[in-house]
Amino acid sequence: MIEMPFNPELEVAKGSGIIANGAITAFLDTALGAAAYDQFETYKKIVTLDLRVDYFEKPAAFSSVIVKTRCLKITEQAVFVQGDAFSKDETTPIAHAVAVFSYEEMTTSVGGTSKDSDGKSSGDVGQIL
Amino acid sequence: MIQDFLTKLKNRQEFDQSLDISPYAKMMGFRLMREGGELTTVMKFNADLVGSPFPPALHGGTIASLLEMAALMQLIWTIDMTDNRQPFPKTIDVTIDYLRSGKPVDTYARAKVFRRGRRFATLHAEAWQADQKKPIAAAMLHFQMID
Repeated sequence: MIEMPFNPELEVAKGSGIIANGAITAFLDTALGAAAYDQFETYKKIVTLDLRVDYFEKPAAFSSVIVKTRCLKITEQAVFVQGDAFSKDETTPIAHAVAVFSYEEMTTSVGGTSKDSDGKSSGDVGQIL
Repeated sequence: MIQDFLTKLKNRQEFDQSLDISPYAKMMGFRLMREGGELTTVMKFNADLVGSPFPPALHGGTIASLLEMAALMQLIWTIDMTDNRQPFPKTIDVTIDYLRSGKPVDTYARAKVFRRGRRFATLHAEAWQADQKKPIAAAMLHFQMID
């Protein structure tokens, strides 16, 4: 479970207290990426391949958003994760997200493209977290 | 509010306008640009948008936000904003495909209204950086047009 506290910078309109959809999308991407990351014992670079977000209702005004995640499946190439976002009411979700992440060993080299186990360049595939 | 903002811009063939009427759009560094009649939403690069430092790549969530903003702007731009009965479109869902890693530079996005019905609108959006023919992400979005 991950929480994003309310912050006026995230408001869609000044003084409305409503967090922008985009901020919730970005937060879901982070939360689901963190859930994927959490599935491994060693450090892995987590790359988003696909993210789908369904919006059920707008969040409660001036309320923080929490996300509860669930890992559905880990294969040799991908991690399938889903999560629900909640606002004030922790029983009815305000949004639902499904994401697929690929993973590879963490490289700490600066610049250049990283190579995966097949030796193929994976520098232009996907999006980091 | 955003309708008034866009109505003023509609009369101008070319502009590069900050979207700081919304605190969130301001934080993300979103801008609206129009060249040759096409509306483009821009995300100015900022170190806070980086999700992974080695090698530096944009956070996927920022690109998702940009695509959603581009689609919403294109949709409001297209609909008749002078009609007061027209409520503000609500996002129903977004589906994003990440195609390439986002480099630490400015990112551009453009959306196309596939279909605008009475109740729903379907849009497709693409984001690119140096080369428009090499998108870094694409998205399908649905919006609800009535309350």
